[in-house]
Amino acid sequence: MGLLTILKKMKQKEREMRLLMLGLDNAGKTTILKKFNGEDVSTISPTLGFNIQTLEHRGFKLNIWDVGGQKSLRSYWRNYFESTDGLVWVVDSADRLRMEDCRQELSALLLEERLAGATLLVFANKQDLPGALSQEAIREALALEQIKSHHWCIISCSAVTGENLLSGVDWLLDDIAARIFTAD
Amino acid sequence: MSGTKARGDAPVAKNVSSGGGLGAAAPSRDRKPGGGVLKRLRSRRSQVDSRPVTEEDLRAQGGHIMPEDVLGLRVATRGYLCKPEDNIYNIDFVRFKIRDLETGTVLFEIAKPPHTDDDEENREADASAGRFVRYQFTPAFLQLRTVGATVEFTVGNRPLNNFRMIERHYFRDRLLKSFDFDFGFCIPNSRNTCEHIYEFPQLSESLVRQMVEHPYETRSDSFYFVENRLVMHNKADYAYNGGQ
Repeated sequence: MGLLTILKKMKQKEREMRLLMLGLDNAGKTTILKKFNGEDVSTISPTLGFNIQTLEHRGFKLNIWDVGGQKSLRSYWRNYFESTDGLVWVVDSADRLRMEDCRQELSALLLEERLAGATLLVFANKQDLPGALSQEAIREALALEQIKSHHWCIISCSAVTGENLLSGVDWLLDDIAARIFTAD
Repeated sequence: MSGTKARGDAPVAKNVSSGGGLGAAAPSRDRKPGGGVLKRLRSRRSQVDSRPVTEEDLRAQGGHIMPEDVLGLRVATRGYLCKPEDNIYNIDFVRFKIRDLETGTVLFEIAKPPHTDDDEENREADASAGRFVRYQFTPAFLQLRTVGATVEFTVGNRPLNNFRMIERHYFRDRLLKSFDFDFGFCIPNSRNTCEHIYEFPQLSESLVRQMVEHPYETRSDSFYFVENRLVMHNKADYAYNGGQ
């Protein structure tokens, strides 16, 4: 039995996953986190640090980290990469002016060695807003098709209504589970 | 958040059936599963409980208290294992909340008023001020199934490395629950929240009865470490005979 096998077994017993949620400021990361957990989302203020949720879902112990996206905080993102199994990149679909910023920040993250083993879920958030770009438009704007280094998926959602949040996270969990909890 | 667990306002679980096509098929990838195997190994922590130790042992050993030390405690401490001034990072717990996930109800919420100069004076007058909280709950509290406990804290102008919380709950000399959580890095001047959603420990009827009949014999110690050195120690005790 090799080291990898032993590690897989240990992981499987705990079935613990670490998800890191990032994106530009005002993308809706904290609203997604709170909606996901059935909390009130009517008064969300900018995150000046992190919000963590630990919970059980489908038999997995999830640790979800939402780190503030303001420009002054982005240099600290690197402190949260370690041991990340899934990266959730949240996009404000109605923020057309900053879509290029959004693309650049994401592509920089995908070069990070410590995120190399992470599955990527892109949430095209704020689909409830009238000016929101479609999921297809965002896929193109962020050049997602060029990503070969990570498993990825884009899902349109609305944090305010809760639409598609669960199906997004479930896709992410399935992909991670298939990678790290495979039975031998 | 799973269909059976999180039932707050407008639970997301209702959207399960709405589906919604997945945007892109994941390209196949040829890489090691999990990534950074050794890093995972390093980040792991032994689940084995430390050898039993008493508060007196820890005081006698001198030097700084480490996480392994407090994991060996078998009863709530009587005193504090560090001084208020050991909190050189200005970590300040400003909010605490408990909610019932079954009903989405907030059961308890306390927020610290903004800092004033009076606080400093009080702190000097009483070394335990701000470090001890007494909770009074009704017996129904012990029947909860799934709860979410939120803490909110602020950090001073120095970054925190390896910020770790160990919280131990006892009834008399019985350990009911031990939390051990790594916050890891905290950004200077940040405000952070953490909610742990967990299944309430299943307690026997006789234990519940004793906990109700003996107020304040349920106690907890919260230990906070930065780079494996104890910097804060808070305590609480609990009564479950409210409303009787």
